[in-house]
Amino acid sequence: MKFLRDLHDKADPLFKDGGPLARFHALWEAHDTAMFTPGEVTRTAPHVRDGMDLKRMMITVVIALQPCVLFAVYNTGYQSLRAISKGAVPLDDWQMALYQLLGFSFDPTNIALCLLVGALYFVPILAVVFAVGAVIEIGTAIIRGHEVNEGFLVTGFLLPLTLPPTIPLWMVALGMAFGLIFGKEVFGGTGFNFLNPALTARAFLFFAYPAWMSGDAPWIAADFLGVDSFTGATWLAQAAVTEGVLATASFADAFIGWVPGSMGETSALCALLGMIILLVTRVGSWQTMAGVIAGTVVLATFLNATGSETNPLFAMPFWWHMVLGGWAFGMVFMATDPVSSAFTSTGRFYYGLGIGVLVVLIRVVNPAYPEGMMLAILFMNMFAPLIDHFVVQANVNRRLARVGA
Amino acid sequence: MGLLALKTFRHGVHPPEAKDETSGSPIRQFPFAPLLVLPLIQHAGKPSLPEVIEGQEVVRGQRLARPDGFMSVSLHAPATGVVRKIGLCPSISGRMVPGIFLEPHPASTQEVALGEPCPLETATPEAIVAAIQEAGLVGLGGAAFPTHVKLSLPDDKPVDTLIINGAECEPYLTTDHRVMLEQRDDVVMGIRYLLRVCRAERAIVAIEANKPDAARHIQEGLPDDLPASVEVLRVKYPQGAEKMLISALLGREVPSGKLPLDTGALCINVATAAEIGRLLPAGRGIEERVITIGGPAIEHKGNYRIPIGTPLRFLLEQVGVDEDVNRVFLGGPMMGAAAPSLDIPITKGTSGVVAFTDHAAAATHRKIYPCIRCGYCVDACPMLLNPSQLGILALNEEHERMADEFHLLDCFECGSCSFVCPSHIPLVQQFRAAKATVRKARQQAAAAGPTASKEAPA
Repeated sequence: MKFLRDLHDKADPLFKDGGPLARFHALWEAHDTAMFTPGEVTRTAPHVRDGMDLKRMMITVVIALQPCVLFAVYNTGYQSLRAISKGAVPLDDWQMALYQLLGFSFDPTNIALCLLVGALYFVPILAVVFAVGAVIEIGTAIIRGHEVNEGFLVTGFLLPLTLPPTIPLWMVALGMAFGLIFGKEVFGGTGFNFLNPALTARAFLFFAYPAWMSGDAPWIAADFLGVDSFTGATWLAQAAVTEGVLATASFADAFIGWVPGSMGETSALCALLGMIILLVTRVGSWQTMAGVIAGTVVLATFLNATGSETNPLFAMPFWWHMVLGGWAFGMVFMATDPVSSAFTSTGRFYYGLGIGVLVVLIRVVNPAYPEGMMLAILFMNMFAPLIDHFVVQANVNRRLARVGA
Repeated sequence: MGLLALKTFRHGVHPPEAKDETSGSPIRQFPFAPLLVLPLIQHAGKPSLPEVIEGQEVVRGQRLARPDGFMSVSLHAPATGVVRKIGLCPSISGRMVPGIFLEPHPASTQEVALGEPCPLETATPEAIVAAIQEAGLVGLGGAAFPTHVKLSLPDDKPVDTLIINGAECEPYLTTDHRVMLEQRDDVVMGIRYLLRVCRAERAIVAIEANKPDAARHIQEGLPDDLPASVEVLRVKYPQGAEKMLISALLGREVPSGKLPLDTGALCINVATAAEIGRLLPAGRGIEERVITIGGPAIEHKGNYRIPIGTPLRFLLEQVGVDEDVNRVFLGGPMMGAAAPSLDIPITKGTSGVVAFTDHAAAATHRKIYPCIRCGYCVDACPMLLNPSQLGILALNEEHERMADEFHLLDCFECGSCSFVCPSHIPLVQQFRAAKATVRKARQQAAAAGPTASKEAPA
């Protein structure tokens, strides 16, 4: 170790101000802090610190995401193989060509095969997202002379989970680049963005390429030409146009996630596991989650009571809202993003409440956008600072009243 | 009684307590150093005026310096010996300050020369306050604010509750704990003196729940004729801060810019109360105090009654330190200051010496990340400020805005925000600097514009 440290110290002046490689100081610094523990110690109080730091917070979120990642890989393969076993044609792409070349069967009951097919679709998307993320992060760090920040790792895990399996990779790269640059870096990088970068990326893709992203076209990696009685559209999209879809659907399937949809969003169960991890470690705000739940329950119940003759979604009970689409995933992993959410405890509840209300409103009242979670969160992201402002003002007024000034 | 039933304040943090290593160790007498260093300013206020000359022989307990006005206290000789030098000596701030160097006489019996006693039975409140100033007493919890100034109560601000602060929420420190266990009679006596001065209806001894033995001991020793009680508080930092105590015990909020006195409460540290009870009846001055010496780098951890002026180097030699000792703090690790040199002495306000090893210290300073608005600091700040917003303003050096809009001056630098910040942003450190800037700017403004101050409403 001593040898390595010496070698490192010898190279250090090259990257200091005025050194020939000063431009790349950000990279050098990242290598330094990743490989060695900084030698500096505190000079002023406090001299003890809490164990929870930013890196550990991000790692916690990534760990909490793993159930969703695993299920995303499995379910992508399962949906594809199930469709093919029911008569759909394998897609004409390299994944399926490779799969058939290897000579595997289309058996949806074989978990290993499901994972393989899923991985063939999921892993390239993940790889593209990380490559683009790393390039942009390092590039902006060098341009701005900042230190490289690991924040894009969380974004990198979040974005692929919100995408359909069949999305072209160039679209993924474009989306990630847009999300990072216009959702984060133009505002000053980590901590200064007011929108969630992963959702910004998804929203960009959603509006730029609605044919791929809106959820009413097939979201399963298989070709449905000529297959009757089988639709690959998301359940939310189906429920928006046809009455009684949910009457015959299995709530358990939707809860566990054996349904078509964005790769990582289908399983409310896996999101629930992540939620437990985030709540126990207190990385995710319980106020935000409580707010989302309360908002959804209240408005869905209200709409149930109101009823509508023409819109079948009015009748959808809140528990169906919670298991369909991106509701659970969005609440646990997107709404709780501290940077873009409100940051007073009270404010977080109202911020969550707004998301809960808006998601139902968008889903039910605007059938053009069956998936409301993304828009609801982005919308409330914009209002978060305003919510904080009102919370603080309310506190000030209350305390003024108390001291009688 | 369940944990949640205990009284406490809003917000706050839970640093590792680290008190077990020393809380069971009784107070022991610390030896005299070959040279004692006595700064003339060991309190908040004006330096004391020396009454001795170089080369003079002094007796332990003899007054070395007298108070220079109201905001100043006496200084007494911690040992019988010779005044070697009167000149500049190193201090905790890193600056040289005027001080007296005293060389204890090795052959002396070190008997204490007593002054005029101030018996409880006959003394008037004014006489007690004067005796406290003469005894050189300051707040022993760490602030070192002259106790007699605190006790000089204006007539229009009556005190209804005397709070004896035995919370001791700083990690590692157990001096107040040991004082409560071993000097109960002094504490009771101190409360009697203090009640005589402040005329409060009652006294509350506030003790955190991690010191159940001390709470029980004090409770059992409170005489029936004393209107005093013990209140056990939840363990939370900074429970021992005056405003937090008042909020926890009385449910009152000290208005911004006002003193605890404005809510009818007077807070006195339990060690200060014990010293009042110990020194006043004998007519003694404070020439030694109880400190905790602890931390991972200390070999003989414990509580010691140590002569004021003992240099840090001698102290560490006596208790033994690890080879890889890295950093030495005076006070606890949350609010204490890192010693700039080992030549600085223990002063009246030093409640402990904590030494960290390389390993323990390296873990405390890490790469600074951007603020991610997680809100941990907002949930931690006991003054209900917004440290995150203040931190962003501090980076932009908008100090006036910090003070005007975000109540910077209400921050009492407890360090809870820096403790919890997952991005390791040095929040309280920035606030300390910003407060100094704002105070200086306001003083200059006040000095420059006498017309402006005249226009202020009378």
